[in-house]
Amino acid sequence: MKRRYVRKLFRTRKIYDLNKTDELFVKAMRENAVYHYTNCLEYKQILDDTSFNPFKIETMEDVINLPFLPTLYFKHHELFSKPLWRMPIKATSSGTSSGFRSKIAMSFGDLWRGFQMIRRIFAYHKLWSLKPVTYLIFGYQPTKHSQAGIMKTAYGFTYVAPARKRVYAIRWTKDGYQVDLELIKQEMIKASKKKTPIRTIGFPAYTYFLLKEMEAEGIKLKMPKGSKITVGGGWKNFYAEKVDKFEFYRLVKEILGIEEENCVEFFGAVEHPILYTDCKYHHFHVPVHARVIIRDPETFRPVENGQIGLINLITPMIEGTPLLSVMTDDLGILHDKCECGVNSPWLEIIGRVGIKDITTCAQGAEEMLKE
Amino acid sequence: MILYKGEIYENHYQKRLIDTLREDCYETLEKEEFLKIDEVIEACDKLAQQVKAKKYDDLILPLLEEFDIPYDYFLSHLPMFEKPSLLHKVETELGKNHDKEIPLNEDNNKRRYPLGILFHIAAGNVDALPAYSVIEGLLAGNINILKLPSGDRGLSVKLLSELIKIEPKLKPYIYVFDVPSTETETLRIFAEMSDAIVVWGGDVAIKAARTMASVTTKIIEWGHKLSFAYATLDASDKDLEGLAHHMAITDQVLCSSAQGIYVDTSSREELDQFAKRFFDIFVEINKSHKPVPFGMKSRNALQLYYEELESKKSKKKILKKDGISVITSDDSQLELSMMFRSIWIKMLPKDKIIQNLKPHKNHLQTAGLLAPDNKSEEIKSLLIKAGLTRITKGKDMSRIIVGESHDGVYPLMQYSRVVESFK
Repeated sequence: MKRRYVRKLFRTRKIYDLNKTDELFVKAMRENAVYHYTNCLEYKQILDDTSFNPFKIETMEDVINLPFLPTLYFKHHELFSKPLWRMPIKATSSGTSSGFRSKIAMSFGDLWRGFQMIRRIFAYHKLWSLKPVTYLIFGYQPTKHSQAGIMKTAYGFTYVAPARKRVYAIRWTKDGYQVDLELIKQEMIKASKKKTPIRTIGFPAYTYFLLKEMEAEGIKLKMPKGSKITVGGGWKNFYAEKVDKFEFYRLVKEILGIEEENCVEFFGAVEHPILYTDCKYHHFHVPVHARVIIRDPETFRPVENGQIGLINLITPMIEGTPLLSVMTDDLGILHDKCECGVNSPWLEIIGRVGIKDITTCAQGAEEMLKE
Repeated sequence: MILYKGEIYENHYQKRLIDTLREDCYETLEKEEFLKIDEVIEACDKLAQQVKAKKYDDLILPLLEEFDIPYDYFLSHLPMFEKPSLLHKVETELGKNHDKEIPLNEDNNKRRYPLGILFHIAAGNVDALPAYSVIEGLLAGNINILKLPSGDRGLSVKLLSELIKIEPKLKPYIYVFDVPSTETETLRIFAEMSDAIVVWGGDVAIKAARTMASVTTKIIEWGHKLSFAYATLDASDKDLEGLAHHMAITDQVLCSSAQGIYVDTSSREELDQFAKRFFDIFVEINKSHKPVPFGMKSRNALQLYYEELESKKSKKKILKKDGISVITSDDSQLELSMMFRSIWIKMLPKDKIIQNLKPHKNHLQTAGLLAPDNKSEEIKSLLIKAGLTRITKGKDMSRIIVGESHDGVYPLMQYSRVVESFK
């Protein structure tokens, strides 16, 4: 089947020009919806049960009405629209409090589109570099022992600039994966005395904890010019710490001597492999490859920008698994204005639904001795 | 925050204080007279009067606000800590002559005594609970070591230190530590020196306490319980309304909150009709209560949407409106609901009550019974045989009555022992 519109969408040069791509986006969504409808029986049943006809997607309103699938659904069902042997990437989400992980597959075409997207987004954010760097990765060392999507992403990132060296904070040992932040600290101290810039990649919380520790020890470094701190993988699992982003940037500046503008954050999810990159005001603008709908939890209708609701992520990128309209467990707000000059709205993630008001007799007490 | 012999210390004094704890506790046993229960009661009564006089409102009001508890409702529970109630509690639980020697036979006497040292591991779901657990320990005359739950906001330490100010004799009977649950070695020290561990919480907490205790330490468990309503098809609207109020007030978060309704039928059709009837009442009643918090409403909306996607296979039927919902299904499994006013309604004909519920034995607590008078005796008897410890009206499922048992037993008796000795 031809993927004319999707291909065109992912070749779009102006990556934040949403208005001009609306029509193309709708067409690409129809193309992707029809593809999954005809290749994934379970997906077809879901659309049939709600009498939704994917061949008739003509407007953004139809995209809004396309039944979304909650991430919870992917945790209980494996939906594939291509034979598994034809798909090079099988990724699992990094798992949340529910203990289940989503299983998602991507085809070669999906990867190619992903590459196109990353190429343009990185170019826009000036992240490509020919100068070799030392990668300090606050994440898993890739091994055959894990299929976590985040790990694949992190490894992929180490090709953005040529790697002189890759150092991982979570390494495979005979006792399984072990976190070793001390090693990263020593590498940072070494790097500060050399000329090769560093790039950190990975979970922001780990980076934050290490910087906090270095602050307590009175360590202050000046990293070589061109060094960047990139974080991704979300702040989840660490809501309790309530790490303030700006406190984080202050630490980076103070401990590593790296300016705030060289701190870049990414956001994405296994169930929605679109790369959201923050602008210089640290806002995640929606790129042309995706649309974000914030929905009212009562009616599931979109709310106006500026209002809080459930985050529904939409993209026609993937043909391996029907990920075209995914409802996350997160609450968020879509904002219109940003001083960076990009017109595309930006997404503020407020946090996981209902995580904070649960302390019950039945459940809360169990957490007590667990943590 | 640490409370040690009436003084408040920062957490970094922990190690130093723990080093002397055993010695200090033993010294109290050696040198002090037995704690007089009347003095404990007097102190609690004075504290309750101070609370009534709004002395602690700056601490209490924000907590009430956060948990959406009306001030009047809070005040209505205060008498529990006043003298008449506490006297009644002690007398009901320990008997009239709890502090006297009573003849056992011609040559021997018997008398109730405290166990000695109690180590309380409190749960965090009710803010004043840790302090309450200690007060129960005091009422039986014990020395109390309390481990605060994570996220404690200081209310317990405040109340207990005020209690000591009122009655300085309590100083050597109250020790509060803010030790995280991960510090198992420290917790083991407390467990080891105590006569009993009093543990509040779910199965995980209780299992952990069991691994901590040596064979010489008794474990008193106030574990996680489930409650439900049981209704006949001809239950009155008034009873259903009462239950709906209870469900809207407690949001299914208490041990005594109804997680759902069992209906005395084996017909799915009748079940679904009953569910519709209750749902309409629930929606109406819910209008007089505060809405479900946004985050929980969103969480449940997602869960319900997911259940709808699965409903073809699961055969579940969902009714939802205004952030509340009921789900019916073919099974009779007792389970936690989604909470926050998303509840289940299942079939359970009365001749299946024992078969279905007995396996849950010690997890059962309250059943709200909604049935006409001529049927209620029979059902009540079956529920009791299945292992329930409280049978109430739907509206009263979370009510508290002074002198009632706790999950079927009297705590003060659990914290005591009977000693026989020759005359």
